[in-house]
Amino acid sequence: MLEVEHLEVAHGDAVAVWDVSLSVRPRDLVTVVGPNGAGKTTLINAIAGLQPIRSGTVRLDGGDLASVPAHELCRHGIALVPEGRRLFPAMTVEENLEIGCYAPPARRLRGQSLERVYATFPILRERRRQLAGSLSGGQQQMVAIGRALMACPRLLLLDEPSLGLAPQIVDQVFAVVAGIHADGVAVLLVEQNVVQAFAIAARGYVLEQGRVVAEGAPSQLAQDARIREAYLGQQ
Amino acid sequence: MPSPTCRPASGCLSSPHENRALPSLNLIGQSLLAGLFTGGLYALLGLGLSLTWGLLRVINLANFALAFLGAYLTYQLATAFRLDPILTLVVIVPGFFVVGIGLELGFLRFKINELTSLIVTFGLTVILESLIQWIWTADFRRLEWPYTRVSLRIGTLFVGLTGLLAFGAAALLTLGTWAWLRWSYLGKAARASAQDGPMAGAFGVNRRRLALLLAGLSAAYAAVAGLFIALNHTLAPSQIYSWIGVVFAAVIIGRLGNALGLLAASVFIAASEALTMAVTAPGWAPLVSFTLLIVILLLRPEL
Repeated sequence: MLEVEHLEVAHGDAVAVWDVSLSVRPRDLVTVVGPNGAGKTTLINAIAGLQPIRSGTVRLDGGDLASVPAHELCRHGIALVPEGRRLFPAMTVEENLEIGCYAPPARRLRGQSLERVYATFPILRERRRQLAGSLSGGQQQMVAIGRALMACPRLLLLDEPSLGLAPQIVDQVFAVVAGIHADGVAVLLVEQNVVQAFAIAARGYVLEQGRVVAEGAPSQLAQDARIREAYLGQQ
Repeated sequence: MPSPTCRPASGCLSSPHENRALPSLNLIGQSLLAGLFTGGLYALLGLGLSLTWGLLRVINLANFALAFLGAYLTYQLATAFRLDPILTLVVIVPGFFVVGIGLELGFLRFKINELTSLIVTFGLTVILESLIQWIWTADFRRLEWPYTRVSLRIGTLFVGLTGLLAFGAAALLTLGTWAWLRWSYLGKAARASAQDGPMAGAFGVNRRRLALLLAGLSAAYAAVAGLFIALNHTLAPSQIYSWIGVVFAAVIIGRLGNALGLLAASVFIAASEALTMAVTAPGWAPLVSFTLLIVILLLRPEL
């Protein structure tokens, strides 16, 4: 469903992503791993329309996304859980979730989407009148994921959802992502937590210095001696 | 009510009174009432400023000049065509809505930020002041209409009809705006855009259209403020500047983008000013708003 071909993205003159091609098929769970500064966030932001593309194409179901304004991307079924969560801190939890279903197609399903998010994250139902900025990091991550789910996406983009969270919260986040995937949503997961990302992904890409240096099934990638050493901490 | 020499804030109730040490209960009541009405005018003038500052990060000083342009247009339509001043809003409000959109288009085109907006809109204010002076001269103008001098008597207090109307309009518009921002999807989108624009955009908020709507609304509010300035005060082009300080204080104390906070702050400041004038002398009034602003900023610096 998502086809990225020869993508090049730059911050000003500094090129952050070179000639990256990747694809996500319907109901796929694909992960992109790599060290800090490899261009993972730039890549996912470019797909989400937050970052202009210098060259190459991003296609969704065959349609080029370059001509689609950022605020219409979500109508095509893409939703983003950005790096650092980027909630609306001075708004309540429920208001944050409601922005997720702002686009008319998702807005019609507001009630049932809210129920689904509150069923997945019961703590958010208790905190729904609380300001998002006052929540703990783990709860904020739940709001960020819930907000994206409110958009009823067919393709969910997740940028390091485990960053800065306590280990047991990280396990919970990965379980939730696997559950979303099991419900039939395609997922593109950018992660530094390679072990857990490989555990739930069907396919993986390794990004280093803005280029894809390896791709394949996680089980195959984990065989590669260099990847084992660099990302899995094994000799 | 006010003479050209006394500041709009006053309502100038403090007649040269005999008993300076202890003002009568009636004088205090009358002062509080004047505070309520003047506070309504502050809130009407501040509403557009608070919205564009809080939600669009544009500090629009031209809001004050627009309000005076609205006041003069009301005066002109009422005196030339014998049109009821309140009815002039039917023409002026939609016109100002379009003007507000035009201004915001310019701000967006030139990527204006908070600081540059202050400079650019100061320039616009000076231009509008000159325009007003060119058309209507620097002479004082007073809109006379059958109901501008009507007072209702409640107990021992005199309640000016136009002041009451100003407060009613301020209460209606601030409450309506507050409710709209709090509960409607558009209102939530506006608040979300102010906090993280690109993320709001990623979830489908058309920020450009929303910004134009907010800017249009703000200018429309200035038109309403203009009507009540014309009904309650004597007009002179230079008076544009006399409102800026105190309305800024009200907008900041009420919190940027918070319409209800603005109304409360406006009435609080105006009532404090009126009481100060009743107890001491009119000259002390301007000190009140800024003392309040400084004290509140010291206590709650996160504003």
